[in-house]
Amino acid sequence: MYEFVTGPLAWIAFGIFIIGMTVKVISVIRLASKKDKVVFNHWSWGWSFRSVYRWLIPFGSRSMREKPVLTIVFFVFHVCLLAVPIFLLGHNILWDERWGITWWSFSETSADYLTLLLMAAAIVLILRRIVLPEVRIVTTAYDYLLLAIAVAPFVTGYFAYHQWFDYKTVLIIHILCGEIMLIAIPFTKLSHMILFFFTRAHIGSEMGERRGAKTW
Amino acid sequence: MPEPAIDTDFIRERLAFFKGARFKTWLDICAHCGYCADSCFFYTAHDKDPKYMPAYKIMQTLGKLYKKNGNVTREELKGIADIAYGDCTACRRCSLYCPFGIEPALMIAAVRGMCCSQGLAPPALMEAAKNHLEFGNQMAITTEDMVETCVWMEEENEEEMPGMKIPVDKEGCDTLYVLNAREVKYYPQDIAEAAMIFHAAGENWTFPSMGWDMTNLGMFAGHAKIMAHAAKLCYDAAERLGVKRIFTSE
Repeated sequence: MYEFVTGPLAWIAFGIFIIGMTVKVISVIRLASKKDKVVFNHWSWGWSFRSVYRWLIPFGSRSMREKPVLTIVFFVFHVCLLAVPIFLLGHNILWDERWGITWWSFSETSADYLTLLLMAAAIVLILRRIVLPEVRIVTTAYDYLLLAIAVAPFVTGYFAYHQWFDYKTVLIIHILCGEIMLIAIPFTKLSHMILFFFTRAHIGSEMGERRGAKTW
Repeated sequence: MPEPAIDTDFIRERLAFFKGARFKTWLDICAHCGYCADSCFFYTAHDKDPKYMPAYKIMQTLGKLYKKNGNVTREELKGIADIAYGDCTACRRCSLYCPFGIEPALMIAAVRGMCCSQGLAPPALMEAAKNHLEFGNQMAITTEDMVETCVWMEEENEEEMPGMKIPVDKEGCDTLYVLNAREVKYYPQDIAEAAMIFHAAGENWTFPSMGWDMTNLGMFAGHAKIMAHAAKLCYDAAERLGVKRIFTSE
């Protein structure tokens, strides 16, 4: 089972993720050039870049500055979500064994704390969906499912690292959760991972190049 | 008389028309995060009543139409029109607060078009919008009245600023001045004040006898034909008079 989930299934998951996202990006650009010509007549790389950049740095936009707590939680969540799996020592060893590639990795303790931090951020995001009326009213079951898909690999990974329950089973569940997330990205709202750059670049050009207004 | 049934085929056609890369991506990735709420003055002015938050308004209008693929009853479409016309001014402020830069205002405009096509635009707005077709401005002012107002304003300010003219339909100018119909109807001194600035600046400008109203109620109502007509009048005037640029008040 372990051989299967880290072998063929891993290839399938990464394949669907990479091909799925490529197809998604190409189809968005093709559809835009067919039905959204207005996007291109005021396209500006300068405004696009600044619009993306300002929203990638903490407190880079007015919207973020007005909600400081939420901004910190969002950044902790997203940074940990990307950094932990890529720089985890265990993952690096696995890649080294399989493909002979290595790079810098976190110490095991810091990865442990970052995972805790991510789970804490996720709890805040769930609580805010329940507590705040303006977020509750737009929240659907789908939003909770997405959070579950994104957080499950970290919860199971935490269990596996601390060897709670049966290590082998937990590890396989952990790998499956990670693969589910990779496969889900191109087909769900998680595709904002890439599409974020497109929509932000568009609004930056739309407001900036067309009327000289900042979108941050 | 029973109210006519909703032309669902037409609404479906519109829904397909609008589903380009922008609408599709926006609807696909909105994370329901709630950043847009505080940007909306409808929301803050109603003591933060969540039903006025932008993302929710889109879910209740365009979202509902896509979900039901246009199969809505007249009652449902009335509810949608109430939100599209009554709870949003399409000011686009929420786009500046959205992490993804989603544009609810454009989606509301699309919804208004569908509501308007089924006769659900606010009657007073439609009445004024139709003036664009008949008179070329939203306030039903005739060209005669407009020219008369310009002459009156010239005379009124002769002492204060001798030589100041409000040139109507002068060809070959640099600047075409267009304004809000309300200025001609209720605040003619606004035309005079603009003319004073042009005069003092030595600007070579003109005021068109047709196509001088730069407001566009067709756009607010979602009536594509009137919207295009009102905008075209203004561009036609610019081409007819051979100006270099169009200047708008407000």
